[in-house]
Amino acid sequence: MTLGQEFRKGFWRDNAVFRLLLGLCPALAVTTSAENGLGMGLATTFVLVCSNIVVSSLRKFIPAKVRIPSFIVVIASFVTVVQLCMEAFFYDLHKALGIFIPLIVVNCLILGRAEAFASKNRLAPAIADGVGMGLGFTLALFVLGAVRELFGSGTLFGYAAFGPEYQPLLLMILPPGAFIAMGLLLAAMNKFDAHRK
Amino acid sequence: MPRLILVLTLIAAGAGVVLALVEAVTREPIAEQRRLETLRALRAVLPPADNSPDEDRVQLVIGQDKRGRDVVRTFFRGRSDGALSGIAFKVVAPDGYSGNIDVMVGIDPQGTVAGIEILNHAETPGLGDKIELPSFKAIFAGKNLENADWRVKKDGGEFDQITGATISPRAVVGAVRKGLEFYRDHRDEVVADNEHQGDRP
Repeated sequence: MTLGQEFRKGFWRDNAVFRLLLGLCPALAVTTSAENGLGMGLATTFVLVCSNIVVSSLRKFIPAKVRIPSFIVVIASFVTVVQLCMEAFFYDLHKALGIFIPLIVVNCLILGRAEAFASKNRLAPAIADGVGMGLGFTLALFVLGAVRELFGSGTLFGYAAFGPEYQPLLLMILPPGAFIAMGLLLAAMNKFDAHRK
Repeated sequence: MPRLILVLTLIAAGAGVVLALVEAVTREPIAEQRRLETLRALRAVLPPADNSPDEDRVQLVIGQDKRGRDVVRTFFRGRSDGALSGIAFKVVAPDGYSGNIDVMVGIDPQGTVAGIEILNHAETPGLGDKIELPSFKAIFAGKNLENADWRVKKDGGEFDQITGATISPRAVVGAVRKGLEFYRDHRDEVVADNEHQGDRP
């Protein structure tokens, strides 16, 4: 596969959230607004690309028996880096995402890519894979967050999207709304793909 | 076998070095952000002051927790031309709808509320979280223990609850009232001019 194909694979064809249904815990929990979705997606992308780079570079050096603990140490370190930098420079976003930043460590998407792809491939494809999967994850979280914010609070990135008479559909920013929005988006994507074939 | 140990040790050591570097770089900005956050809340609730209220503070023991350890409350004192103009302190409402509600209360030296600010809460979006609205917080300004009945209207008091949510406002009103009562009973210690500056964050 070319690098472009590696990228598109993660971004669309095997999109982590919409296709593989991986990483649903953060995808459902933090997407109460477009900004939260985008922030969480980009933080995850950063961790994913960095861990792919390190894991791919060290793949011949790490013995198979200790590969999982090694990957986890690498991933956890990058997550801590993200957490510290976010608190220092994006304080409000850090407060909004809260516990879900440290929980990036256990996002199965990241360990999954390290184990299934980065540890078996050279650096360039590993980076392309990380960027594609990461941005695909970001896209999914952003769309989910935008839809929920739009209907649940009547705003987009905090700006009023409808007139003042709009009565927000509260359910959409409550936990059940995450499942409903997710289901509808999945259905729309399947419909779209079926139509294209 | 030795190779496994060596590799894992090297990776952990590398991670340690990276984390130490990042921590060193971000330590100052994070401390500054936390200080700014406190200062923002203090400025929002205190009557006009020209000092740094977060540096002029006194800490009092307000009770014991379940394990018998002291619970400490910090009082931040705002001054205007050196004279005490207001006091701010944080109260915790443990009886919200979900989790604690942290409220910063600002009062004048006589014990009348100047303003309140909701610092942290996990109330239901769209219902209980309306305690964050300026219109709710504004109800508290100008009220003290003598001139107001510190209950929500549903309980016979005079604080407007929020449509669809009584529990969260009730918790906030109760916590602020307890804070005011503590101040009334310990006023001398709070306004005393002892040098506690820079003791603890």
